[in-house]
Amino acid sequence: MDRIKTVCVVFISGALFFPVGKVWAAAPRFHGFAEMVYGPKVSDDNTQRDNFNLLEQRLQLKTKYLFEGEGALARKNSSINFKGDFTVDEYFSGKTDFELREFNFSTTPHDSLDVKLGRQVLTWGTGDYLFINDLFPKDYISFFTGRDDEYLKKPSDALKVSFYPSWANIDLVASRFEANTIADGGRLSFFDSFQGGIAGTNSDRDLLEPPLRPSNIEYALRGYRSLGSHEAAFYYFRGFDKNPGGFKDEAARQLFYPRLDVYGGSLRGPAAGGIGNIELGYYHSREDPDGKDRLIGNSRFKILTGYEKDLGNDFKVGFQYLYEQTLDYGNYSASLLPTDFVFDKFRHLLAQRITKLYKNQTVSVSLFNFYSPSDRDGYLRPTVSYDATDQWKLALGANLPWGEDDFTEFGQMKRNKNVFFRARYSF
Amino acid sequence: MRYRKALIMTLALGTIWTRASFSGDALAPGEIVRACYARFYYAGDDMKARILMKLIDKGGQERIRDLTMLRKNSAEGGEQKYFIYFHQPADVKDTTFMVYKYPDKDDDRWLFIPAIDLVKRIAANDKFSSFVGSDFTYEDISGRKPEEDTHTLLREEDVDGRSCFVVESVPQERSAYTKRVSWIDKENFLPLKEEFYDKQNELYRRFEALEVKEDNGIPTATKRVMQNVKTGHRTEVTFQEVEYNAGIGDDIFSERYLRRPPLQWIE
Repeated sequence: MDRIKTVCVVFISGALFFPVGKVWAAAPRFHGFAEMVYGPKVSDDNTQRDNFNLLEQRLQLKTKYLFEGEGALARKNSSINFKGDFTVDEYFSGKTDFELREFNFSTTPHDSLDVKLGRQVLTWGTGDYLFINDLFPKDYISFFTGRDDEYLKKPSDALKVSFYPSWANIDLVASRFEANTIADGGRLSFFDSFQGGIAGTNSDRDLLEPPLRPSNIEYALRGYRSLGSHEAAFYYFRGFDKNPGGFKDEAARQLFYPRLDVYGGSLRGPAAGGIGNIELGYYHSREDPDGKDRLIGNSRFKILTGYEKDLGNDFKVGFQYLYEQTLDYGNYSASLLPTDFVFDKFRHLLAQRITKLYKNQTVSVSLFNFYSPSDRDGYLRPTVSYDATDQWKLALGANLPWGEDDFTEFGQMKRNKNVFFRARYSF
Repeated sequence: MRYRKALIMTLALGTIWTRASFSGDALAPGEIVRACYARFYYAGDDMKARILMKLIDKGGQERIRDLTMLRKNSAEGGEQKYFIYFHQPADVKDTTFMVYKYPDKDDDRWLFIPAIDLVKRIAANDKFSSFVGSDFTYEDISGRKPEEDTHTLLREEDVDGRSCFVVESVPQERSAYTKRVSWIDKENFLPLKEEFYDKQNELYRRFEALEVKEDNGIPTATKRVMQNVKTGHRTEVTFQEVEYNAGIGDDIFSERYLRRPPLQWIE
């Protein structure tokens, strides 16, 4: 009798659990992290808060749904990818928010073709924190306040098609315009020409984004292939400046994002016992092709070279040099009004990265330094991070921009110096 | 006198015979190490393995690296391609790593960081740095060419009931150690134990193969441990699944699959 009872119990519980088990097996598994970040300020400005520029909690969830079975989507290696961040931002008095970082459908319709449609993070090029042909949107507020590097990259709503013929790899991206997130005086102070200097909450610029319509879709193209151990690439971009580089209406303090084409190339590979890279780009300002319009940024030429070497014992050093030149400078200076700020024709920027790992690579000490001899400004980013366990990661660092002038790239950020602390639990 | 001659003849014949059967006592030490290198690093035309590494510090705190490794040879002792996909821990999940190993120049290495969609080229001139924080160096993972050391056969000795050649290797080229002593299984030529000595001529790392299993007739050390006897840190490795000659395509070892891990091979 007892035995029959046992069999019944096992059978019934089995029947109950089996479908539940199946549902669980099919339910997507979530990974991600919970993070707390705090960035007290070490310099004064007139932004919204005096004592800190970063204090937030973040929960990131990500998952992937793989199409399984015999269906066409399964056979084409299709998946749906999701990554989203829930945030509580104490800088804006505990404002809760949700940022969708990835939500896309990815498939391989043909052996030599991949397609990804939807929200995705995109990157290419050879620089380290310096971008010439990567015209995908960036979040410089995250960068200058000390969020993880992941947040320097903003997601794009895009269609990415990758072809893999035998002789090269080709990526083609069509995307909706997404501006860079740059200092606006709320969280970070910056140089606002309307205010005649570094501005905080007093800034009242109006940034006009191109409306969504077919003629405003941006296109980015990369073709790359390996040449022995080296990789060569060419790039083409047709879209808009990601920074508001044009004045629409000075009286109304309106700025806009001028149309921009970029043509470029890069080469990367082993050199002198390390990895060397060179990348160049021609920025064609389509709305001011001859540079005569003082309200719109001129065409520019940029070249970047870099070198990274592993010196052994988990010690790496990297150097980069970026040169930028404003083209048609004569036309630009001739068009200026006496009251205008005058920007230089040339910009030289040096960057160094030093990283040393300790204690079986659980402790990382790194220093990233930007220095521009022509702008007489720079930006120092020291960071120490510690992987206490596989789950817990702690990071401590600082953002120290400086500059002699108020209107240069890093000089305008000089009142935003902070230290930051991050504690992250990954799961 | 006659007896002695007969003995020499027998030994010589024995030598020829055992040479042919690939387990001879009279193999030159360099040949033993070359056979070990071929068996340990070049087994099969390709290999797929699910590998669990436990990184354990002196206090017993454990970190894990759960990965799938794909390897493809172009020729024995020649060029190899490696593809590594990380399953765990959570913060490196979906990270991929690719190595082209060349016999006569530095490796080419690429790392894909999924959070920022970045394929990074990694400077690879230092083979002696730790692989993902473990006690294994990159050189331990992909092998050190036998020609870079001079080898001496010290003796023969049993390790866990298996008879082994004990070979001492002294570097001729740049190296992380000043001396390595290897216990190489006389039958399958796998290294069952290795001891590494530092500049002070003190033992600082010890490798042990604790379990050997066969797939497709190819023996693999499926449980391994590398201990840093100076720091007390150790790395325990389990090859959970191993498959040789699985038919991994050459195209897998490309930037395309770094960004989009080949599910049929990594799951």
